[in-house]
Formats: sequence, C-alpha cells, structure tokens
Amino acid sequence: MLKVDHVTKYYGDFLAVDDLSFTVKPGEIFGLLGVNGAGKTTTFRMIMGLLDPSSGSITLNGKKIDYDVTDQIGFLTEERSLLTKMTVKEQCLFYGTLKGMKEKDILNRLEELLERFEISEYKDKKIKELSKGNQQKIQFITAIINNPKLLILDEPFSGLDPFNIELFKNEIITMSNQGSMIIFSSHRMEHVELFCKKLVVMLNGRSVLEGYLSEIKDQYRKKNILIKGDVKKSELEKVDGVLEVVEKADEFEVKIKDHTIAAKVFEAISKHKKITKFVVEEPSLNEIFVAKVGESYDK
Amino acid sequence: MTSKLNYLIGVSLKRKVKTKWFLVANIILAIVIAGIINIDSIITFFGGDFNDKTTIYVIDDTKESYPIFEQQLKDTDLNLQQSEDGSYVVKKYNKTFEEAKKLIEEEEKSVVVWFQQDQDNTLKATILSEQFLESLDSQILVNAINTTKISLAILKSNISEEQMASIYANPTIERIYLDETKKSEDENMQMITTTVFPVVILPFFMLTLFLVQMIGAEVNDEKTTRGMEIIISNVSPKTHFFAKVIAGNLFVLIQGILLVAFVGLGFLIRHFIGGNSIINGFGTEVSNVIQDLGESGLLDKFIYIIPLSLLLMILTFIAYSLLAGILASMTTNTEDFQQLQTPIIIVSLIGYYLAMMAGVFNGAVFIKVLGFVPLISAILAPSLLVLGQFGIFEFIIAIVFVVIMNWLLIRYGLRIYKVGILNYSSSGLWKKMFKALKTKE
Repeated sequence: MLKVDHVTKYYGDFLAVDDLSFTVKPGEIFGLLGVNGAGKTTTFRMIMGLLDPSSGSITLNGKKIDYDVTDQIGFLTEERSLLTKMTVKEQCLFYGTLKGMKEKDILNRLEELLERFEISEYKDKKIKELSKGNQQKIQFITAIINNPKLLILDEPFSGLDPFNIELFKNEIITMSNQGSMIIFSSHRMEHVELFCKKLVVMLNGRSVLEGYLSEIKDQYRKKNILIKGDVKKSELEKVDGVLEVVEKADEFEVKIKDHTIAAKVFEAISKHKKITKFVVEEPSLNEIFVAKVGESYDK
Repeated sequence: MTSKLNYLIGVSLKRKVKTKWFLVANIILAIVIAGIINIDSIITFFGGDFNDKTTIYVIDDTKESYPIFEQQLKDTDLNLQQSEDGSYVVKKYNKTFEEAKKLIEEEEKSVVVWFQQDQDNTLKATILSEQFLESLDSQILVNAINTTKISLAILKSNISEEQMASIYANPTIERIYLDETKKSEDENMQMITTTVFPVVILPFFMLTLFLVQMIGAEVNDEKTTRGMEIIISNVSPKTHFFAKVIAGNLFVLIQGILLVAFVGLGFLIRHFIGGNSIINGFGTEVSNVIQDLGESGLLDKFIYIIPLSLLLMILTFIAYSLLAGILASMTTNTEDFQQLQTPIIIVSLIGYYLAMMAGVFNGAVFIKVLGFVPLISAILAPSLLVLGQFGIFEFIIAIVFVVIMNWLLIRYGLRIYKVGILNYSSSGLWKKMFKALKTKE
C-alpha cells in the first residue's frame, strides 16, 4: 500500500503541498487532480523519491521510498522523458537496467509489450524517428517494463488517438487487476471517471476534495431534472421544492431544492401521456471540480 | 549502486564513442596527424621541391674565388643546416652574365653568383635569382661570400696553414651567470617553449573542449528531454554526476591514447617511406629543436616533468568535467549551456596563450602567479617548470590547488547539481543555486 501521510513541501517560503494525505491499495486506480500549479508534480516527485517532503512521510508497503524501493515503481511523466537519439531497444534497456532488471528479462518483456502495442517493427528505430503517438507508447512501455507495484501515470493519453487510448486503457486495467497500485492524472475527466475509484482534488497544494468517486458524486448530486413532453411550465413551477424552471428549445430544465423533490415532480407530470424524457442529472466530475476549484480542469 | 554507476559510465561512453561522428573525426585526425608528420614526403610526391637542392652557378672573373667559395659554402651549409648531404650544388659557369640570366629563367631553384674585382681590387659579388631567396639560403650565401673575401685576403698575406686553421676554428666561449641557479641550457628553453609547447599543449586544449562539450551536451540532453526524472528516480544525483565525470574523463583518455597512436602511426609510415631517417627528413628546424632538447638536458628532466605534468593534467580534466557538469545542470536548454561554457573555454584559452608567452615574458611574476591557478595551471605550470621558473615544489603546490578545487567542486557543486538537474525554470536561477549551496547533504 502507498501511504502519503500528512505531507507538506516548501520551496523556500512557497508552500507547494500542504498537509496532503491519501492511501492507494493494491489494485486501486487513484486519481490525483488539480489545475496547473496545484502541487501534483511536486507530489509525484515526492512519491518517486526525487524530492524529500518538508514534513510528513511517504511509504510504499511500509518502507520509506528510497533507491532500494524505486525499482518497484514505474513513472510516466507528462512531458516525453525519452532520450530521442536512442533506439527503442536501447531506451528500454537503459531504463530497465536502471530499474535493476537483467538484460534478458528486459528484452523478453520488451518483445511482449511491443507486440501488445502493435509496434514490434520499431524496435531498432531511433525514438526521434517515431510519431508522437508511438513515442507515447514507448514511454508507457518504459514505465511498465519492470511490472511495477506502483505505477504513476501523468497524462498517459497525451498524443494518442481513440484506438490507442483503448489499448492503454486495457493495459492499465490489466495491471490494476494484477494488483498494481496506479496513480493517475489526466486533464480528460471522462478518463478519470472511467478508471478511478478514489481521487484527490488539489488546489494550491491542499486537498479540497477526496474520497471514493461514488461517494463524492452522491454528495454532489446535481439538482437538475430534464423533461421533454407535453408539460406546461406553470405545472412544474407549482410543485413544492422546485426553485426554477428554464424553458429550452424542446425541453425544460427544472432546478430543484434537493434530490427528494425529483419524485414529486415525476408524480406531478405522470398524468401526461407524451413524456419522452425524464432525466435526473448526475453531476460530472468536471462539474464537481468546477464547483470545488472554481475553474474547469478541461481548459 | 556500484553496478548502476558502472552501467551509466558504459552507456555514456557508448553514446559518445559508438557514433559515426567519433569515427569520422578520428579518421580525419589520423590522416591529418600522419600527414603532418610525413609532410615532406607528401610535398615530394606531388612534385614539390622539399628536398631538391639549389644549384648555384658561379661566374668567376677573379679566377681565384670559385674553389674557396665552393668550400666556404659547403662549410657554412654544414654549420647552419647540419646538412651533411649538402643543400646546394655548386657549378662553375663559364658563359656571360647575360646568358646566365636566360639560364635562371629556364631552371628552377638556381642562383647565379658573379665574382668580380672592384676598383679597390677587392672582391665584389652579384647574386642573381628569379624570385626571392629563402632567408636561410640568402644568409648562407652572404656568409660564404664574406668568408671567401676574407680567405682571399688572408691567402695573399702569406699566413701558414696552421695559422689559417687556427683562424677558422670556432672560438671557445665561456658563459657565466651571476645568478647561480641559472644554467646555460636554460637559455635554449625560451626557444623550446615558443616552438615545442604550442604543439604539445594543443591536444590538451582540444581534449578540454571535447570534455566540456561531452558532459554538457549529455546532461543537457537528459534534462531537456525530461529523461533526467526517470534516471534520477532510479539512481542518486551523486551517482549520476560521478558517472558523467568518470565517463567524460575516460573518453578524454581514449581520445588522448588515439592521438598518441596517430602520431605513432605517422612515424611508422615515415619509417617505411624514408627508411631509418625518421628525424632527418623533417628539415633543419625540427632537427635543431631535437638537438637543443638534448643539449639542454631537458630529456633527462622528463623523468619527473612528464609524470607531474600528466598528473596535473588529469586532475585538471577532472576539474573541468566537474565544472561542466555543474554548469550543465543549471541550464534549461542547449542555448543556455552554450553561453555558460563560454567562460570555461576562455579560461582554457588564457592558459594556452600564457603558456606560449611564458618564455617571452621570462620571470614575470604575474605569469608565475597564474601558474598556480587551477584550470590554467595544467597548461602554464609545465611550461614554467621547463623554463626553470617553477621548481618541483611550486609545481606540487599547483597540483595541491587543483586537488583542493576538485574537493570544493565535489562538496559544494554536488549540492547545486542535485537541485539544478530537476529545475526547469531559468527565473531566479542563481538565487536557487546559492540557496542550494547552503543546504546540507
């Protein structure tokens, strides 16, 4: 288990991370979200052992993260961290050996991964000769070549087309099923929603939202109902607990006091025979994020 | 961690050595060095006149100058050029001066000397050539003509053969220095430092540039591609730093050995082309330098000069590599590093020029003090040692200063390196670095 326990990091007088705590258990995919400058990269660097926390502790399976433990970690940085003058094979051998792997094991694993990502023909090509998407695949391969117990993915889908995103998703889920702890950061909220059971939203170095995604969504249940049919605006406004009814092109958006009002609204319009849509909106992660952070993460 | 250090050193070396540019650069170096060593053969092969003798046609209206001039020219040539084969062919020319002019136009490397009696019944000479004469040829000709004139005068004075031999014998010169530490051999050193040193220290200067470039480019490449984050998450900055420094110095060692091998190759080619006369064919200047080196007793001093100089140079290479690594860690892009490495190159250049000028400004305190300054001392101190301005004690002090500098660079530079390699912003860079200096390990 990865345990980030009351971690604070100062750069001089600047507070980059403030009393951050979370845990990631084996098999969990954990989302670490925040706008630029929120403290994500500093947190990743502290988990990787690149920076020491000013206070607090980070442990992996009960051990402080140092160079004896980093062999069990895989890290995919947001920017390309590939030495572009090397060939794919040289690059994987380089990073794999630094992870303490033997050459034979690296080459066997590389063959397997290249085949899985359908880029076996690029093994002896220089990285700078590859497309952006293929470079991202190589970067991902270098991050998982050691079958890490803890995998940190910072914007893993950058530069990928939908087909390749699917390939990555499958691989991430496979690793999670095999018991790897995965920390995931992305600007694409639909990906975070798809993968992460748990998340932390950071703002100015602090955690402003944390917990299981399902619980967070319950807390932030949206108070909107979308109705399409032969209903009149005045009918909807009469229901107790309805705050506002907005008439749109071909539907009504009904703003209610809390989610219990939805049943009353449904009862009120159930006599109508031409109701084609009745949706109690679930809040998207982006909406929750905006509500908490004050700006869109998708920007 | 030792195995990771070895692995990183191996990867760094391979990245530099297993490139086509390294191969191409060394093929060019081998050709250039072997070519310079065999330049006389190359010139001769392409129809040059490197070893062609100059023909001197003598018109002797005096009827008595020719045999004396022929002998004097041979003696002067032997004295000044140490050329036993003789650099000149002397022929008596029995036609007119006007006809000699036509001969000169047709025949390359020929000169006409016309001896006449002047109004005072003494020797008058006219030298005729198509182009300018080389300064040494001109000097030998004038000397031979002067001594011919004197010889003729002596002959007419009825002096005995023994007296003649005594007059022509070289005088005995005793050289006395009030400064007892000075020796006559040291007077040759000025010439040696101005002729030999620029050639000997050029490879050091060149290797310094290679070293700074290699370490800087590698650290910068790893940093700008963010590969550094992956590397440093698996090996400590200290291991990474030492791997770069060791790999850089090993590379310089390999390149240095290759340069020596190319020189050896050049001499081997020379041996097969020119038989056993490896040195003679170089011409008078090189022969003279080698002779002076022998006479100066410097060859005997090489027993301690070479090991001490090599030690100082190796320590200085380490200092340059430490400095290059530290500076490269502070840069955020290639342009930054190019700007930061400029001062290093300038410092190295200053040392190079000072070493050349040390002989000219013999005894200058300013140059002597700079001989102790690390980075410069590797070039300057050996030349001062050869000149006799530095004793072994001073040289060892210069070595100690470089050791102290290396220790400081490792102790404090490593702190900067640790912060610098993961810093991607140039704003407040120096503030960050000074702050890093204050942090503890």
